[in-house]
Amino acid sequence: MAAYVAKRLLMALVVIIVVMSLSFFMVRLMPGSPMSALEAQLEQQGGLTPQQIQQKVNIIYGLTPKGPLLPQYFSYMGHAFEGNLGRSITNPGETVMHVLAGALPWTIFAVGVALIISFLLGIAIGSLMAAFPDSWFAKFTTFVVSLLSAIPNYLVAIVLLYLLADTYQIFPLGGAYSASVKPGFNLPFIGSVFSHGALPIAAYVITSFGGWALAMKGTAVSVLGSEYVRAAQAGGLSSRRIAQSYVGRNSMLPQVTSLALSIGFLFGGSVFIETYFTYPGLGYYLIQAVDNRDYSLMMGCFLLIAVAVVLSNLAVDLLYPLVDPRIASPAASRRLDKTTDDGARPVVVEGSAAA
Amino acid sequence: MKEAFIRSREFLRDLWRISRSDKGAMAGGLIVLGYCTVAIIGPSISHVSTNLTGATPYLGPSLRYPLGTDSLGQSVLSQLIVGTRPVIEVGFLTAIITVSVGVVVGLVSGYVGGVADSAIMRVTDVFLTLPGLPLVIVIAAIVHTSNPFVLAVILSLTGWAGLARAVRSQALSLRGSDFVEAAKMQGLPLSNIVGRQLLPNVGPYVAIHFLLAVTGAIYAEVGLFLLGIAPISGTNWGLMINSAMSNGALYTTKSELSLFAPMAAIVILQVSLVFFSRALDRVFNPRLRVQ
Repeated sequence: MAAYVAKRLLMALVVIIVVMSLSFFMVRLMPGSPMSALEAQLEQQGGLTPQQIQQKVNIIYGLTPKGPLLPQYFSYMGHAFEGNLGRSITNPGETVMHVLAGALPWTIFAVGVALIISFLLGIAIGSLMAAFPDSWFAKFTTFVVSLLSAIPNYLVAIVLLYLLADTYQIFPLGGAYSASVKPGFNLPFIGSVFSHGALPIAAYVITSFGGWALAMKGTAVSVLGSEYVRAAQAGGLSSRRIAQSYVGRNSMLPQVTSLALSIGFLFGGSVFIETYFTYPGLGYYLIQAVDNRDYSLMMGCFLLIAVAVVLSNLAVDLLYPLVDPRIASPAASRRLDKTTDDGARPVVVEGSAAA
Repeated sequence: MKEAFIRSREFLRDLWRISRSDKGAMAGGLIVLGYCTVAIIGPSISHVSTNLTGATPYLGPSLRYPLGTDSLGQSVLSQLIVGTRPVIEVGFLTAIITVSVGVVVGLVSGYVGGVADSAIMRVTDVFLTLPGLPLVIVIAAIVHTSNPFVLAVILSLTGWAGLARAVRSQALSLRGSDFVEAAKMQGLPLSNIVGRQLLPNVGPYVAIHFLLAVTGAIYAEVGLFLLGIAPISGTNWGLMINSAMSNGALYTTKSELSLFAPMAAIVILQVSLVFFSRALDRVFNPRLRVQ
């Protein structure tokens, strides 16, 4: 168990370091990189000595274009680990970290609620489809669900915006809560948060519960056909017991593993959904930063999204042994390794760049 | 050569037989074929005029403009037709890159094994955890290109990792099989073993993932244009929606067609690709075929 946890922790750390390095090299080295663009812009404005320009660039990025590469890399990484991501270009009074700290809770709220709803809904529908495979219900839902899961989430967002927020004004158009309520633990605020979050969450759920349902149906059907289920039936166990502890639990395993991958997918989708609903989360600020050429904020958003994805993957990895104890025990995982590759990670190709 | 011919004939026969019983898959395949045709011949049968003098915005459907005109008075249908090529082009290019990298990395890693395998898989894991879409957005924002090839490379940065893992586990189980042992004993080079012994055995799997990779690429590509991150040039569906939205399509019912026509085009293509991949799945997966 300890070895398993250590391995996962190390892996998470490595990914975070890779992401930080990526962001360093993109800012510092890419041709036409944000930093040299800012330098050129300041030179054009005139009235500044070269030293002053270097100083200004340094304040915003924590880097200078002409300094030596390696020491800069280490100092950037050191700052990043301390949470110092420089200052926003469009709004130099604010640190990037400050902007992001305000945005992160909203993304986690919307993505988290959407993930839980679509997971539970998908599992329930998938189990029903597997239980009654020849009913009109299963055929109809299979069709609807494969249709829905093929539709890009941003298009669903546009349609929801068009229908519910504009034409039939049921839900507010944007923001995380209305200006009239006071943030805090009170009923109007919580109500406002949920009514503002309803459309973004619906957009996630509509496009992602179908994947769960189809996957659950697939595994449940193959578990239903397996010999241990037939043996349990022959042994006269109650169908309730078979459904719960034989079929249910075993069909859940692959779904729990793909939770990790789908978290990354949902965080990616937040870019579109938050932008359309002007929902002030990380994805919204990422696009704002791109539009304003505010590269320090942009890299900060990217970094934080990546860290959020890595940490939630880590959480799923650490919870997984609770569902399937074989994963963390060395002897059992060796046995698993022989038959099914790494055992822990299934492969879901959600689409190339989207996954 | 003759063998390949017989094989592809058998494949087509299977595909036809299964498509006939699964109407959804058949419709999907035909629609995908239709889109590809439009992508190839589209720009020569229709063009979007840049001369906007005398153009009337928001015309309803008519014989001259079957889908009406948009906020600038350009024909929605011609834009749809001309805009098909960039979407299909980048979608397929991305899928080709994603699938080739994924297959090669997976096969070599699984076959070679040992330290190299662990090292390659750790790198793959890193790519698998990176949030793909935000990474693509950040790079596209810095590189700022509309060159389809460069765009395809950016879009396939993270997608190969999932496929590489899947292919590797297949290669692992193939490694011990008799024909691979035989090839090894004959002293055939790595390129032969990977390319001629292992590759044909993972082919079916790859074909299905190719189609899914196309849908993923189209999702991300249209998204980039939709948000205005990829530079605005030429005509494509993402830009059409983008311009409809920024011209207030949400607040007026006049522009419904110019907003919903490109959206419908995307949805129909995505759904068709998924349904078609289901037919391929059955052709290649005999266990499913029995059902």
